[in-house]
Parts: sequence; structure tokens; C-alpha cells
Amino acid sequence: MKPQEIRVVERLQPAPDCVELVTEFPDDELPAPGQFYMLSAGDGRDTYLPRPLSFYRTFSPRRLSFLFRVVGPGTQALAALRARDRLQAMGPLGQGFPLPEHPLRAVLVGGGVGVPPLWSLGRALQERGCQVTALIGARTRSGLLGQAELEALGMRVLTATDDGSRGHHGPVTDLLAGLDADAVFACGPEPMLGAVQSFAASRPVPDTYLALEAAMACGYGVCLGCAVERAKPDPELGPYGTYARVCREGPVFRWDEVKL
Amino acid sequence: MDLETEVAGLRFKNPVLTASGTFGYGREAAELYDLALLGGVMVKGVSREPWPGNAPTRIARAPGGMLNAIGLQNPGLDHFLAVDLPFLRQYDTQVIVNVVGHDEEGFLAVVRGVDGQEGVAAIELNISCPNVADGLLFSQDPVLAGRLVAKVRQGTSLPLIVKISPNVTDPVALGAACAAAGADALSAINTLLGMAIDVERRRPVIANTTGGLSGPAVKPVGLRIVYDLARSLSIPVIGMGGIESGRDALEYIMAGARAVAVGTAVFRDPLAPPRIIAELEREMENAGFTSVDEAWAAANPKAKGAVS
Repeated sequence: MKPQEIRVVERLQPAPDCVELVTEFPDDELPAPGQFYMLSAGDGRDTYLPRPLSFYRTFSPRRLSFLFRVVGPGTQALAALRARDRLQAMGPLGQGFPLPEHPLRAVLVGGGVGVPPLWSLGRALQERGCQVTALIGARTRSGLLGQAELEALGMRVLTATDDGSRGHHGPVTDLLAGLDADAVFACGPEPMLGAVQSFAASRPVPDTYLALEAAMACGYGVCLGCAVERAKPDPELGPYGTYARVCREGPVFRWDEVKL
Repeated sequence: MDLETEVAGLRFKNPVLTASGTFGYGREAAELYDLALLGGVMVKGVSREPWPGNAPTRIARAPGGMLNAIGLQNPGLDHFLAVDLPFLRQYDTQVIVNVVGHDEEGFLAVVRGVDGQEGVAAIELNISCPNVADGLLFSQDPVLAGRLVAKVRQGTSLPLIVKISPNVTDPVALGAACAAAGADALSAINTLLGMAIDVERRRPVIANTTGGLSGPAVKPVGLRIVYDLARSLSIPVIGMGGIESGRDALEYIMAGARAVAVGTAVFRDPLAPPRIIAELEREMENAGFTSVDEAWAAANPKAKGAVS
């Protein structure tokens, strides 16, 4: 991890309220799938804190993209960037997804803007010989992100929308029931992650991992803002035995490690 | 340029410290730069037993800053002594232990526990955290604050710094009571009590309802309180609140701070402390100062406590 200045190479708009920034890094310290960066643009007057974002696609060791929904001043400042603009990126940060040692049947579950970390993960799993299926969900058709990009990697992609405008009509986690999964990797809104936890417990699929999102000030472990409650307090873990830091002990946790 | 400064008998190689609660115990920042660059480190508050901290959500965004209600999550005295202090001891910098407690006994236990430990330069008594149930208890009444400081004074021979709250009508009265009870220095300011509302969820953003405001937005408040403390009291002040640049640090020194601490700025720029040290040197030079002593209280002619 280190703070660095990166440069916008291209700005894409994959959905009406979503932006993908393709950026170039000064060196080639490739992050692991599930890791994230703290990004900040502008002078910090409207939005002081940097914005945690998982990286999305990698195009070369120095070229990574970030995909986000424009929701507030932080993401507005990022969305206002154009090609050649510069921004600050601190990272790569946190613990990414654990990758299996042997090929297995892996299912990715992404909700809304939770899809980005699954792209590089899916590719890494495929490189390890895994058979990968991606399930992506959104409120409505226009919010489905990453379908073409995941399909381009050669994986099967199933979709779900809350309003039935494309794919399964209902929560994306409904699709888990019809699949054989040795491992599940999920990123998305809390209710979705909760449903994945229930699935992991009932099937059971012990190798289920969740990438969490949290309000965060620093991203590198000093502010203690991004606390998540551990399912079982663990005195062995010292100061982080009750509340773990999403930024440092996470953002990826095994499904049974955290209480959402 | 002479960046050396003295607070309560302690020599600092430069006047830039890291503020308590934004730096943990140094482990994370040490991955980024040599902590020996720092004038000093004010560690995350240490309590007698481990404290889990508040339930999330703990932070909220704010223009020019942020709100936090971490709730003093910390590993407790034993862990600090066994793990964190030995780590910090490796670095040639002044380690100031921020001490928290729910009551006098809680404060005293930590003070006695760190007293005499190798590598502890001073104690910062945190009687001004707005984010735990009784965090501001001792700040609300100068008599209570003075009584606590007097007891702590008897429990240690270490330099004693008391962190002053801006959430009181008269910070000078509070500082005066601490000074009279034996405090060697004051640090100011802690965060300002505030809140944020989540419109969609129809509730406060922070689970604790309120949180402490910090960041550049609070700098004018910090400057005012440091200025007032320096003008009214003869013990030195460590200034903090919204310091983001060498110029901000110089403003605090000119208001009457003998040293400064960088807090929230490290969230936006993890390298802020060493950057600010370098910037401060240039800013002092541009302003025509050759030492911290010279810049000290240059904008506060009635400041007391001049080093003769």
C-alpha cells in the first residue's frame, strides 16, 4: 500500500448513474481481487474523505478501472474527472478473496455496484481451472452492471432484477438454489449478503466469502471507522476481536465471521 | 532553521506530532514512512480494560471534515504495554500516551500502569472525548477536572498534558483548573460535538446519534481556543484541529502553540505528518522566522509562558 497519483485514461458510462474510470498507475503493483483503493479528487472542500472503491477491470499491470454509482459529493467529484485528469489513490488495501488451490465450481454473486470486484476474481478463478458462474442482480435492467464484461471472460452469467425487467424476477440470491457450488463469492448490498449467509449455512457451502462495504475514513486501519461486528467475539484477536476493521481484516470475510 | 521545541520539559526534534485517535499505535503509518521523522506520537486512547468501541455506523462525511463516534475502541493497558509500546519504542520519537477512563479509578490505573515504563515520554489525559457516555464528564466542570488532574498528578512523575474540549462555555476556566491541579501542558482541541442525518433512512447517520467534528472545518475554533489558553495560562499548549499544511501548523504556533498535532488530515493524506514538517520549515523561512521559539505567539503578544 502507498499513496500515489494516478491518471484517468478513459471515462465510460456503463449505466445512466454509473461511471467507469480507466486509470493508469505509476507502477505495476497489481492488486489482488477484492482489494480496494481510497480515491480522492478535487480539493476536499465539499467532500473531505477519500472514497473506498474496489478496482474493477485490469487492462495491463498499470491500467485498472473503477466502477461506481454517483451517489454523493465524493462520487460526484470522481465522476467529474475526464481523460488526463489526475487523482490520488491510496492502496492496494485490505485482504482480497482467498483463491482455491484446486479447481472447483465457483459461483459469483454481485448486486448493483457490487459487481466490480468479481471481474478480476472470476478471471483469477478461471486461471486456476475453476468453472465459474456469475449471478448479477439489480433493481432494474439498466442497473445490471458487468454482464457483457463477465461474459467476455467466458463465464456463464445469470441475471435477476427486482422488477423483472430482465432475467429472474426477484432477488439475485434466489438463483443460488439451482446451482451446484463448491465456493461462493459475493459482493453487494447488505440484504443480499445476508441472503448469501443463509444459503451458505443451509446448503451448506463453508467456502463462502463476502466482500463488505463500510463507511470509512482512512482505509488503512487507523481511524477504526469501518467496524463490523464479529459473529463470535474472539479474545485471541486482541483489539479487533469484537469489531473487525473492514479495511484491514476485510473487506473480504468468510460468511460466518461477521454479523451483518 | 531550528525546528526544535520544548513542551513541559520535553524536547521535540520538531513541533509536529500525530494526534490521538487518528494514528492507532503507529503500526500502519510505519508501513509508509519512518516514525522517527515525527516530533512525537500521541497514541490512541488507552483504557484499563479493552474497550470494544461503539456499534457501527461510526463515521459520517461533512463539508471540510468528518464526524466520528468510534467510542475509544482500544486493546487496553496490558496489550498496550506488551505489544504496542515495544513497537513504538523502536523509533526515536516522543511517545505520549493518551489515557481514557470512565471514572477516576479507571484513569489512575492506566496512569500508574504506564508510569516508569521505558519509552513513555508523557501522558495526555483525555477528558474531552464526546463519543462515550461519560467522556465529557470531567470537562463539564472545572472542579471535577481539577480533582481528577490532582489525583493523576500524584500517580505519576511523567509530564502531564490534559486534552481540552471545545464543547464547553469556557475552555480557559477548564484549562486553568487543570493547570492549578498540576497539569504541565494542555492540548487543544478535541472534536466538536455534531451530527448528520440520513434522509432516506430517516435517522441519524451515526449509530451513536452524535459524533465529533474534525478536519479543516474546525481550524478556526482550534486557533481561537489555543490563542485564549496561551494568553491566559502560563503552561504550554499543543495545538490541533484541522491542521492540513505547514501553513496551518505555523498559524497554530503563531497563535501560541509550542507544538502541534496532525489528526484527521492523515485520513485524506497518509503522508501528511512528514509533508507538514517539510512545509512548516519553508513557511517559517518565508515568514522570516529562524526558530519555533521566534514564531511562537508572534500573533499573540499577550501570550504567557515565554521560554526565557
